[in-house]
Amino acid sequence: MTIKRYFVEDIPRRKFLQMSLKGGVALAATPALMSQLLSCNGAKQAPVDVSVDKQLLSRTIRKALENGGEFADVYVENRISREILMEESKFKSAVFGINQGAGVRVISGDKTGFAYTDDINEKNLLHAAEVASYVARGSKVVSPVDIHEAERESYVTVEIPLEDIADEKRLEVMKRANQAALDYDPKIKMASISYYDEVRDRTIANSEGLLLNDALPLLFFIVQTLGVGNNTRHMGRERLSRHSGFEMFDEVTPEEVARTCARESVAMLEAKDAPAGIMDVVMQNGWGGVLVHEAVGHPLEADNIAKKVGAFTGKLGQKVASDVFTMVDDGSLPNMRGTTSFDDEGTQMKRNVLIKDGVLQRYMSDILSAKQIGQERTGNGRRESFRHIPIPRMTNTFIDRGKDKPEDILASTKEGLYVQSLSGGSVNPITGVFNFTCREAYLIANGKKTTPVKGATLIGNCLDIIANTDAIGNDLAFGPGICGKGQMCEVSAGQPTVRIRGINVGGSKARRG
Amino acid sequence: MDHKYMAEQLVKKCLAKGADEAEVLIQTGKNLSLEIRNGEIETAEEASSQGVGFRVFVASKMAFSSCNDFSEAALDNAISSAIAFAKNLTSDVNNVLPDDQGVTEVEGLYDPNLTQVPMDKKIEMAKTVEALAMKDPRITKSAGAGYGEGESEIFIANSHGLSKSKKTSSVGFGVSVVAEKGEQKSSGGEYCSRRHFADLKSEEEIAEKAAQDAYEMLDPQMVETQKAAVIFDPDVARAILGGILAALNGERVLQGASFLRESLDTKISSELMTLVDDGTRPKGMRSTPFDGEGVPTQKRVVVDKGVLKGFMYNTIVAKRAGIQSTGNASRGGYSSLPGIGPHNFYMEAGESSPKEIIRSTKKGLYLKGVTGYGINPVNGNFSGGASGFWVENGEIAFPVKGLTIAGTAETILNGIDMLGNDLDLNRTMTAPTFRVQFMQIGGK
Repeated sequence: MTIKRYFVEDIPRRKFLQMSLKGGVALAATPALMSQLLSCNGAKQAPVDVSVDKQLLSRTIRKALENGGEFADVYVENRISREILMEESKFKSAVFGINQGAGVRVISGDKTGFAYTDDINEKNLLHAAEVASYVARGSKVVSPVDIHEAERESYVTVEIPLEDIADEKRLEVMKRANQAALDYDPKIKMASISYYDEVRDRTIANSEGLLLNDALPLLFFIVQTLGVGNNTRHMGRERLSRHSGFEMFDEVTPEEVARTCARESVAMLEAKDAPAGIMDVVMQNGWGGVLVHEAVGHPLEADNIAKKVGAFTGKLGQKVASDVFTMVDDGSLPNMRGTTSFDDEGTQMKRNVLIKDGVLQRYMSDILSAKQIGQERTGNGRRESFRHIPIPRMTNTFIDRGKDKPEDILASTKEGLYVQSLSGGSVNPITGVFNFTCREAYLIANGKKTTPVKGATLIGNCLDIIANTDAIGNDLAFGPGICGKGQMCEVSAGQPTVRIRGINVGGSKARRG
Repeated sequence: MDHKYMAEQLVKKCLAKGADEAEVLIQTGKNLSLEIRNGEIETAEEASSQGVGFRVFVASKMAFSSCNDFSEAALDNAISSAIAFAKNLTSDVNNVLPDDQGVTEVEGLYDPNLTQVPMDKKIEMAKTVEALAMKDPRITKSAGAGYGEGESEIFIANSHGLSKSKKTSSVGFGVSVVAEKGEQKSSGGEYCSRRHFADLKSEEEIAEKAAQDAYEMLDPQMVETQKAAVIFDPDVARAILGGILAALNGERVLQGASFLRESLDTKISSELMTLVDDGTRPKGMRSTPFDGEGVPTQKRVVVDKGVLKGFMYNTIVAKRAGIQSTGNASRGGYSSLPGIGPHNFYMEAGESSPKEIIRSTKKGLYLKGVTGYGINPVNGNFSGGASGFWVENGEIAFPVKGLTIAGTAETILNGIDMLGNDLDLNRTMTAPTFRVQFMQIGGK
């Protein structure tokens, strides 16, 4: 399962505990259970017809609210996916999956009841509705609004549908990447190419009368290359992912992905021990945005705010970051990895400015947390599959474009660390303490990139980091990732080149002076 | 339908549709999950699910498909998809299925009483553990308590006549709390998971540990950047064992992507370190009578007093390496291909008590929390965020947060100079408390 290796967040034990308590203790307690097994299956046939008739959806919603509760929804999903792995120049395996099912949810006050079924029929749906209604027993009975098909603006366009692609085409982009990686430099001894695509058909119906359906395509292409040097080895990684058709590979070629990856593998063979201690950090534009995804984004998700435990609780309207700092979550950027037309609760995607010029503007919410904190729904209610409850999640999250030229930012930094790319990281959303691992980094001496250094950890507190960001470039770019919060979802993170003063860097070498 | 029979019949169907060899894995399961906050149910979830995975071989090319719809049309479709796709892949003589009919006897993997425990009692447990954890005046908020349980049945059959099944259960509960003091926030938590309900720790024990976890880290201080001893608490054993484990993956070794690739039968660590992978431990959370493709499990010493004795393999990678599978085929579930993974993987206990280890440390970090990816399995580099306590003259002096630690697998593993006697085999991937002579610590 190649895709599962690339978490934005790895899961240290303490963190895991918090996540498991949010995402369902079952995850921690039942490692062999199926509820956690989805998300990377594969299949090739046309979708099995799971269109559930409107009457049945209505009956299910009505049943779910029979015992009380103020909101109920039904989510029907059919996901057809495929994953192909090429390693050591061989097509090693291919995995297809057809997964379908429905989840029924009831909200009553702060309580959520949830049940799901793999087998979609009237009996099972009504049974799920009954199980989900358990939490609402004894509360006031509200009648649901009749469901009607709703309109949503679409931000995902497809030119070459994934369903129409011959398998040979998929293999071909993999071969091209493999060849380009091996041709890049004799030090590249192995390439691993992972191709994944899926089409996720969603139907959402709720007691507010909403009925929506769409089919969401997703492509995820990962290249890893092993560089072999005299005394060391380095596994590079580059990823490309969009909600789009196969035309993605015309816009960014497999060769470009492979060469970017191979370049990192070769460059890092010269890496020396990183210094340890507090220093200034310049982060190159792109996937480095995962730093704010973790350090600022997760603490701005409204579930922990509603619980009054989040690091940003009670700070709305307050100055939390430096004047130059503006941060946005925007699920409507066309075809990006974090984009959908509407979230998994049916809320229209839009641009949400979270922090503007250093002032906290809003939290990211789903239906439940929006109600709890008395804020509008921001379209951040997402779920890994029909087997998961929607929770507030990020989409495409980024530090907005600034005014500085990237080269000036570097030139004006006398000493420090230049981080070209990060592997990923995690945050404790309660304390705001985060960590990241550098994938490719260089020492800065007299305003210039110099020696590459080994994968060091960056740590700090979210509030400090945004207060200490003092330069923001005009070169906004994005990278794709997988975000884990008890359940997985696809996101992108972005930023222009930025400078953060005084981050603790975990190298293995004592710094002089 | 009898799933064992169904798996066997589906193997035949794969062959009839054109596969040379085939394996069918059927999984059924149900789960319950409860989340409690401030004494009220926040989320209640209950569901059962099922799925089937087909691994087919056509001219030594391997493909896989899965579906969770057991109708005949859906199953036919999944099988045909896998067979059609296999034809496009690369042929490899190592693509074979196991034929070992053996099953290792492992006791206590299923608790028949689990579902008999009344729902009210389960809710009460989560409520109680939360209430107890909140009792300490230093604890100001609950981040939630939870209870979860699950049952799963697996049926595996292949065209070599192998047909096996197992039934397992697991149950767990825990709590997460916040301690606040002025502007400071510190979170802590604890959980316990077991195969049997009756084996769970008491609510008091879990609550106390969770609360302590949060409040003991209040008022942290910063230390200078320096080299000093690092004492690893069992809570952070994973930071070291995870990277070793990935480097022991037989496929990574063959690909040259493991820092241990040339270390077989050589000394890779201090003599104090013995690593065991045990698939047979009664009631073990990672124990199983057979691995993810049906090969019987065993108890193996992987590193013996510092000497690397072997890597981990599934059937295909073992064939490529010219040896027998070690019973380490891992499987995420019905929807995934077998990979390579451990069972109950741990470092054997030593003789010192954790107190003695602290007492004999003049200056160093007693590490309770690590963030980051642990040891890089490709090159052995290690760097992470660190928190815990600062030790001075054999005593705990004050809590520390926001530090970093770094080193290489070679220096860390060879630097282990004290080993605790506090191994808890109920944890998965664990170690007793151990000390590394010195590591680079990043602070102010």
